[in-house]
Amino acid sequence: MNDSEKWDRMLKQALASGVEPEEKLNQGIINHAKERNSMKRVHKKRISVGVLVAVLTLVMSVTAIAATQFFSSKQVAVHLGEQILAKAFESSDAIEVNQSVASGDYKFTLHGIVSGAGLKELNSSSPANEIHPDRTYAVVSIARQDGSPMPNTSDPAYGEEPFFISPFIKGLKPWQVNIFTMKGGYSETVLDGIQYRLIECDGVEMFADRGVYLAISSGSPFYNSDAFAYNESTGEVSAKSDYDGAAVLLDLPLDKAKADPVKAEAYLQELLKEPAASTNADPAEAELVKQIEDLKKRLADGKVLPESVKEVTYDKEGRINYEYNDWNVKLSPEMLFAEGQTGFSDAVQFSESDGHYLGLQFHKDEKGVITGRVIDLE
Amino acid sequence: MDIDELTNLIKTHGKALYGFCYRLAGNKEDADDLYQETFLKAIELIHKMDTNQNPKGFLISIAIRLRKNNRRKFAWRQRIAPTAELNEAVDKASLPETEATPENVVLSLELRDTIQAAADRLEDKLKIPLYMHYTAEMSIEEIASVLSIPPGTVKSRLFKARRNMKKLLEVEST
Repeated sequence: MNDSEKWDRMLKQALASGVEPEEKLNQGIINHAKERNSMKRVHKKRISVGVLVAVLTLVMSVTAIAATQFFSSKQVAVHLGEQILAKAFESSDAIEVNQSVASGDYKFTLHGIVSGAGLKELNSSSPANEIHPDRTYAVVSIARQDGSPMPNTSDPAYGEEPFFISPFIKGLKPWQVNIFTMKGGYSETVLDGIQYRLIECDGVEMFADRGVYLAISSGSPFYNSDAFAYNESTGEVSAKSDYDGAAVLLDLPLDKAKADPVKAEAYLQELLKEPAASTNADPAEAELVKQIEDLKKRLADGKVLPESVKEVTYDKEGRINYEYNDWNVKLSPEMLFAEGQTGFSDAVQFSESDGHYLGLQFHKDEKGVITGRVIDLE
Repeated sequence: MDIDELTNLIKTHGKALYGFCYRLAGNKEDADDLYQETFLKAIELIHKMDTNQNPKGFLISIAIRLRKNNRRKFAWRQRIAPTAELNEAVDKASLPETEATPENVVLSLELRDTIQAAADRLEDKLKIPLYMHYTAEMSIEEIASVLSIPPGTVKSRLFKARRNMKKLLEVEST
């Protein structure tokens, strides 16, 4: 048995799982599902970043009329089971905003925002419900302009229209710095026909001196360059008026005195650094990075396999798909090309067998057509 | 998803998923949480799953994402969870007496613990495919499709995981 097989076997034995879920745990899940099936209202929905909400096309006739009375940030937090956060919205660190703006078919209201060191004290006893003093929490509501109610979270139509709600920082590219990159997430509930979203992400107070927006757009749960424009020279973000959907920007009224440029700079360095740089601490990783760099240098002298040059296809999620011999690559084009980038991708995938290397590289022309090619590094 | 489908899913893939959650979370309490949350999320997202295709991969991918999002919570909990409890649990859990096949005997208890600890110390990028492969028993192809990376990359990550673990083990045994 060679070394690799030996390891393979050893790992199989050591890491194979003998543990099993307890019967009562499984039963708990089933009970929960049963309950959920029968649940009607005030249904807490916790949605993780990256995971999309159910989209079922079931047309419902809606007759109820949305109430005009809003719930406060505190009440929304209570409804979402965030007791400590509810208290936080009453604390001196909280800012009641209650600013509304209409766009598309919707009226959006920023109710309140809270972050800051004061939250720490509230964290005292319950670890399950903890809030982080270095995070920012905000409550935003979404109501229909025509007064018809938003679908309840138990309604299949819920989530059919996805929304992206995120802070943007003036002077920073919104596709790089937004709720997703700032380790954010949200919880949602629908009360009296108004959809409330509690968003949270890494604290934005430290950016108070730069200026912080709250961006809201409909049509996609992610940052959408059709909805917002970023002016590289001024650093201003604006909502595009020709966007087919809702797109708005609100200014977050943060206390400039709480800005912390040093901390902000350090945070951004960490956030914006290239993934490869972050792994330098690991010698094995560094070695691999170097190896890849060396291989990249050899690409120029390599031989492109003519039959491998193919235009990629796209799947439903917009990922590109490239297949050639043993290569079967599915990935999102953003991973290869920055916005507006044309030419060859920086990212190259290599495969090796018996010291013989092949590289897969992608190319994007001015029309946006992406082709893949395999290069033989003789 | 109706209750029968759910029950079936739990029956078929519950054990593999739980084992994976256990390795990732490192203790029973968090493993239970992650396991439960994964199924509840799966119920919400069931329309996105093609049951004929790869339900295990679908469940594992949810667990990975949930864990990533809940990292802070888990990291905080792990600090307070006594490690002795973990070791005990692992010992008990991974050595069911009835399954003492010759292969199992080959690996000493001590070595098993050491390997598990070394795996646990790997960075996520290497650890996750490692557990997917060895704990959840997924093929290279399945892992590639769940992580949306080419199979070659999965292989190289597994290779690197093994190499890094080997280094850790060598350091420890000297």
